[in-house]
Amino acid sequence: MLLPKFDYHEPATLGEACQVMGDLGQKTKALAGGTDLIVNMKKKILSPACLVYLGRIKEMKKIDSSNGLFKIGAGLTAAEVAEMEEIKNNYSALSRGASCLGSPLIRNLATIAGNLVSARPAADFPPPLMAYGARVVLKSSSGERVVSLDDFFKGPGQTLIAPEEILTEIVLDKLRPFSGAGYIKLGTRQTLEISLVNVAAFVSLDGPDGVIKTARIVLGAVGPVPLRAPSGEKALIGEKPSEALLAKAGEAAAFDSKPIDDYRGSAEYRRAMVDVLTRRALNEAINAARSNLN
Amino acid sequence: MKRLIKLRVNDKDYELAVEPNQTLVDVLRYTLGLTGTKKGCEVGDCGSCTVIMDGKPVNSCLVLAVQANGRVIRTIEGVEADTGLHPLQVSFVDKGAVQCGFCTPGMVLSAQSLLERNPKPNEAEIRTAISGNLCRCTGYQKIVEAIHDCSEKMTR
Ligand code: FES
Ligand code: FES
Repeated sequence: MLLPKFDYHEPATLGEACQVMGDLGQKTKALAGGTDLIVNMKKKILSPACLVYLGRIKEMKKIDSSNGLFKIGAGLTAAEVAEMEEIKNNYSALSRGASCLGSPLIRNLATIAGNLVSARPAADFPPPLMAYGARVVLKSSSGERVVSLDDFFKGPGQTLIAPEEILTEIVLDKLRPFSGAGYIKLGTRQTLEISLVNVAAFVSLDGPDGVIKTARIVLGAVGPVPLRAPSGEKALIGEKPSEALLAKAGEAAAFDSKPIDDYRGSAEYRRAMVDVLTRRALNEAINAARSNLN
Repeated sequence: MKRLIKLRVNDKDYELAVEPNQTLVDVLRYTLGLTGTKKGCEVGDCGSCTVIMDGKPVNSCLVLAVQANGRVIRTIEGVEADTGLHPLQVSFVDKGAVQCGFCTPGMVLSAQSLLERNPKPNEAEIRTAISGNLCRCTGYQKIVEAIHDCSEKMTR
């Protein structure tokens, strides 16, 4: 399989990268891990006139926790995210998502930036990141903007990133005590699987035995973009966790989902699984929250 | 336009002129003649093109040769030592983990990278480590046994 011809740039700094992306315009694509882009180019789905490789930019591979925030360089690979101690300990659902992506070989290449910008409805990074309330930093030569991940996805393969922008960083809030999240992916096999349904849930409790103050439920692969489940979330607020409560939230989340029939599974099955996985993800989130004393 | 890149492959340095749209697997196979690295699916699904790049196993069909500039690569040709087969390769032979052999280079490299990180993996860890490498012959069981066998030999 031959790749179409293209020009190639390899900036060493973010400033340089923004400059190149700005100068080259529309027919340029940023190349991160390449596990999506190179495949699409081989299949002739995409044929950018120019690639700008971001993998040499050190600034995009850093993490930083200061000022009550936790910032993750978007150039980190899924394997790096999955193995990072700070992420394992504090953002376990994100670590879980990273370790479900593709295969071990793919995880050594694929980056967070690539996974977000390629915007596949079943992708593994969006649900846990949205559950933690992530924002993304989009940089260009004319400045930068910070966008909530909730607003970032526009449709399959579509986001609101402009052609000259680079997704450089993910911004999370430091977790408050008694908050935590869970992530569950359902597929028919464990590796190189596109999720049938994937669900992430986040809760924040007002004490180890307290009521739920904040809740976020994010559903993947059951709509054109990863979806929040507003009625599922609403059912939880101000309530004490119980099996009955999680069942109610699961049912409500299933109602919020917009699954379709395809060769991987029927809409009906997916809806039923949203119910089950939401309960389980919430259960994980509540356990994580109770043990997070920070 | 061709670009000049430097690669260190199996402890040898190369300077090569490559087109931006050439993949690493193609340069290894067709320019350097290292045909031990296989091409199966060419889209990241099968793992037959596995090489170790900067210490990590990757699908070389998804890496542009220009992206590999300055990096250290190990292919299956670099696994065997002067003294003969690597213990992992011996275990593959002993346990009957090779049939047609198409997946074997990738399997051996994924396994070698696992044992470097984790000399005593359990079965689940072995299966995860080779989960990006497809084998259409052995049913995997003998491959898992071979990796386990090598781990036992080397940590004894
Ligand atoms: S040839 Fe590279 S993964 Fe199949
Ligand atoms: S031995 Fe034939 S594919 Fe594995």
